[in-house]
Amino acid sequence: MDFRFDIIVEYAPYFFQGLLATIGVSLVGIIFGLILGLFIGLGKMAHHPLVRLPFTWYINFFRGTPLVVQILLVHFGAMPLLLAEPNAIVSLAVSLSLNSAAYVAEIFRAGIQSIDKGQMEAARSLGMTHAQAMRYIILPQALKRMIPPFANEFIVLIKDSSLGMVIAAPEMMYWGKAAAGEYYRVWEPYLTVAFVYLVLTLSLSKLSHYLERKYSTQ
Amino acid sequence: MIDVRQLKKSFGSLQVLKGIDVHIREGEVVVVIGPSGSGKSTFLRCLNLLEDFDEGEIIIDGINLKAKGTNLNKVREEVGMVFQRFNLFPHMTVLNNITLAPMKVRQWPREKAEAKAMELLAKVGLQDKAHAYPDSLSGGQAQRVAIARALAMEPKIMLFDEPTSALDPEMVGEVLSVMKQLANEGMTMVVVTHEMGFAREVGDRVLFMDGGYIVEEGKPKELFDRPQHERTKAFLSKVL
Ligand SMILES: Nc1ncnc2c1ncn2[C@@H]1O[C@H](COP(=O)(O)OP(=O)(O)OP(=O)(O)O)[C@@H](O)[C@H]1O
Ligand SMILES: [Mg+2]
Repeated sequence: MDFRFDIIVEYAPYFFQGLLATIGVSLVGIIFGLILGLFIGLGKMAHHPLVRLPFTWYINFFRGTPLVVQILLVHFGAMPLLLAEPNAIVSLAVSLSLNSAAYVAEIFRAGIQSIDKGQMEAARSLGMTHAQAMRYIILPQALKRMIPPFANEFIVLIKDSSLGMVIAAPEMMYWGKAAAGEYYRVWEPYLTVAFVYLVLTLSLSKLSHYLERKYSTQ
Repeated sequence: MIDVRQLKKSFGSLQVLKGIDVHIREGEVVVVIGPSGSGKSTFLRCLNLLEDFDEGEIIIDGINLKAKGTNLNKVREEVGMVFQRFNLFPHMTVLNNITLAPMKVRQWPREKAEAKAMELLAKVGLQDKAHAYPDSLSGGQAQRVAIARALAMEPKIMLFDEPTSALDPEMVGEVLSVMKQLANEGMTMVVVTHEMGFAREVGDRVLFMDGGYIVEEGKPKELFDRPQHERTKAFLSKVL
């Protein structure tokens, strides 16, 4: 079997565009997922069961249904109601944000609840408010424990951005499929795409190890 | 200093405190003893509202804890607490463990908080551990840091919940001697402990709790040597 590098060379500019799009939607997904997820996680920890209910169901829905379905619903259902001209990249970024927020919320909640109750009690017994105890005592310890699960979630998110293919969002996978379609070749385009995803996810996992080590020495 | 009237507290259907009445004077050292599950910790935790209570009232230094407009954080600033499991903040040095609350709650400048912390560390014999992390301390050292941390807020009252129960036997003495020194300086203290020697030597008064009531109270000598109630006798015969 001969390996046709010329296909990769020819598609390189498109793969590069796709890479930028993949990085872009992933970053948006991570950042908005974090912001929205923290908010939802807090909501899920509310004392009143009725306050918790919508947050619980948000998490249930986005963790319990396939991301592909969510992408289709967002792109063909929700976005046309909001935008005159739905854009597939925007739809993909929104879907990834909404989806990762559900996982972030659970990681956030589990991280906070994993901290020994005695920590909060000690802080409160010293006269700190709940907010001060969270800020100086609970969160610094909890965030450290959240680094590995966050890294995991964001690795999944980067890979799942390839599902943008179903709405023809021009991320990396889209260009891989385009190349495969044009040349009727499987290995060259898909291995190239796979390799680039691998570089992205390995970088993220390296970053997570670095952060873990940095914060565990304190 | 502390006035407790008809204090009642339930966890779900389990009533743990069934009507506690006690008055503690300034500078008094009150030792609370009793069998496991009798409500000693719950009583102590009600005194700084780590547990909310259902009925009765608690008045600390003239402030009614349940009155509208009472700022609980202000009350807690005046009531230090030492826990069985130390509860030091593991992500901070010993020094920062001690200075955090004075700086964030009392708004002291760092220099003042650190000077106070070093003074307290000297008092508990741990100046050389100021920059160590809690992980590296022995149990006895950790508990002495916890005491210093509570004292840094300059509380008027100190609560101790079995401060030596999690310690290896050879470390109990170093913690008790710090507590004894504190008592001699006139601190108002409420101490839950199984250390009967400490109760006898340092306590002004002993409360024996059982089944959610204070069954008997008195001077340590009287209570230990001539207990009146059957339940007190039964308990003391087991622990003495
Ligand atoms: N947060 C809680 N929820 C439910 N039950 C509780 C809670 N805290 C304490 N209890 C129950 O209340 C009772 C009294 O507990 P408490 O801790 O006050 O006893 P104690 O006298 O301190 O015992 P020990 O000597 O074992 O520490 C026990 O039966 C305990 O199981
Ligand atoms: Mg107890």
